[in-house]
Amino acid sequence: MQTTASPSLPAAQQTASVRAPGPARPYGRYLYLAINIAILVFLLAPIAIVVVFALNPTPFIQFPPVGVSLRWFEKFFASRDFMHALGFSLEVAVLTTLSATALGASAALALARGNLPGARLIVATMLSPLMLPAILTGLALFQTYVLLDVGRPTWGLVAGHTLVTLPYVVRTTLAVLHNFDLRLEEAAQNLGASPVRTFFEVTLPLIKPGVLAGAIFAFIVSFDQFPVSLFLVSPGNETLPVTLFNYLKFDLDGTIGAASVVSIVLAFVVVIGLDRTVGLRSYVKL
Amino acid sequence: MNSTAATRPNGLALFILPSALLFALFFFLPIGLMAVMSVLTGNPVVMPKVAFTTRHYVRMIGDPFYLEVIWTTVRIGLVTTLVALAIGYPLAHWMARIKSRTGHALLLMAVLAPMLTGIVVRTFAWMTLLSDKGVVNETLMSLGLISQPLKLMYTETGIVVGLVHIYVPFMVLTLTGVIGRIDERLEQAAENLGASPLRAFLEVTLPLSLPGILAGSLLVFALAISAYVTPILLGGFQIMTLPILIYQQISANFNVGFAAALGIVLLVISLLLVVAYNRALGLVSGQRELQ
Repeated sequence: MQTTASPSLPAAQQTASVRAPGPARPYGRYLYLAINIAILVFLLAPIAIVVVFALNPTPFIQFPPVGVSLRWFEKFFASRDFMHALGFSLEVAVLTTLSATALGASAALALARGNLPGARLIVATMLSPLMLPAILTGLALFQTYVLLDVGRPTWGLVAGHTLVTLPYVVRTTLAVLHNFDLRLEEAAQNLGASPVRTFFEVTLPLIKPGVLAGAIFAFIVSFDQFPVSLFLVSPGNETLPVTLFNYLKFDLDGTIGAASVVSIVLAFVVVIGLDRTVGLRSYVKL
Repeated sequence: MNSTAATRPNGLALFILPSALLFALFFFLPIGLMAVMSVLTGNPVVMPKVAFTTRHYVRMIGDPFYLEVIWTTVRIGLVTTLVALAIGYPLAHWMARIKSRTGHALLLMAVLAPMLTGIVVRTFAWMTLLSDKGVVNETLMSLGLISQPLKLMYTETGIVVGLVHIYVPFMVLTLTGVIGRIDERLEQAAENLGASPLRAFLEVTLPLSLPGILAGSLLVFALAISAYVTPILLGGFQIMTLPILIYQQISANFNVGFAAALGIVLLVISLLLVVAYNRALGLVSGQRELQ
């Protein structure tokens, strides 16, 4: 699919041509499209504006922009604080992705195939960090670490991130497992494969797209995670969103714009990666 | 899962254990400790004599300030939910009904792109849009529509606008799934029988999508009342919500017990919402089974 085109306009044109309004009542149709395009502008304009401010050279937020420069990107990449935060965020995101994927995928296998009693309740519990306020997860973990006097270690932060990203892996893997043709495994075993060999040569390759989608989700959610990090980071060792937040409290210049563009680009790379590997439709089911 | 007969757990069931351990140690234990801390006079590890107390809860109920904070949080959540529904529904309807595959994919990208942009980044975007010298005010003033900048930031309206932008994708994705399951021929039948498209929508599609409206609204409400970044930055530290108060109790007042009590209040509200959300989604799947 096309990923380079601006999302709103071509979509609108295509709909207009595919679902041509009947001659009898075109106005309702036009109103419908106009409202929807306005909503798309509302959704996407703020992201576009961030890019504009990242490139605008004035030291404060000014509109309309006066020119194009890369000085804020230079400042961002030259800043030790931001670079340290970026590195730490990537480290936490990688560790979180590894643990959430391993735990989430095996939990999904157990839930779909283990004949566990109360599987529905367990699934609901494992998905609950999605709906329970992440700020509570942060607060509760913070209090626990204080009570146990363990300080604010990186593993404590990774555990918190794993908790809030695990639901994504569980959900995407379960989705694949539910659409799975059990006869494929039976066929492998009828042809003489051992259960272990069947697992590695049939089951694992078939659920891989779901696990991968979950892993990519876990990475991006961890990279952008804020409320849990807010409670669990230590001064001088902060993740990028926390550093951005602290910067935003006092300064509103283009550096934030440049930092934002870097994370937006990362998000887009991930979305395109998702679409290339598994297709977007298959897992975006809330 | 339904196809396999109910038998005893097999070897694969053991794969649940690592996640179960994670949830036990890093989810249930901390939340349990939070509940305990909310009824203690102090930290039992460093203080030798701690006693049971209800003072944190009494303080919350007795002081109108805290009730006001809870009400502000709920009010912002409600308005955000209503606005998100109003602008999420048309987009979800379009996404569910669009015929072109490319069109659908582009719409999906448009909804997902903001979702995958961090909350801090999106709040920054709204600060540049809504501030006194921001994009909205500068544009309106250069067009001569206003002479004084509108006060958009540091108001509840500003917070709601930011929160709607952040959480409307959740509404759209929930609604799209539900609207997509409604048979389009029902609408066509209504139109063939003489109903206008608007009436067909109001009397056929809208009632059938009610469970989705409920599920999406509960989700957005749950997310909006627990937001921290957007209310604090767009509210300019002037509007107090429950999450802001909780963090303040930890970072400025070091009052862990009171923070825990506030956390338990937020937890109870959220748990009620989760139960209601699951009920609403149950209605959706129940409907599918009937078809």
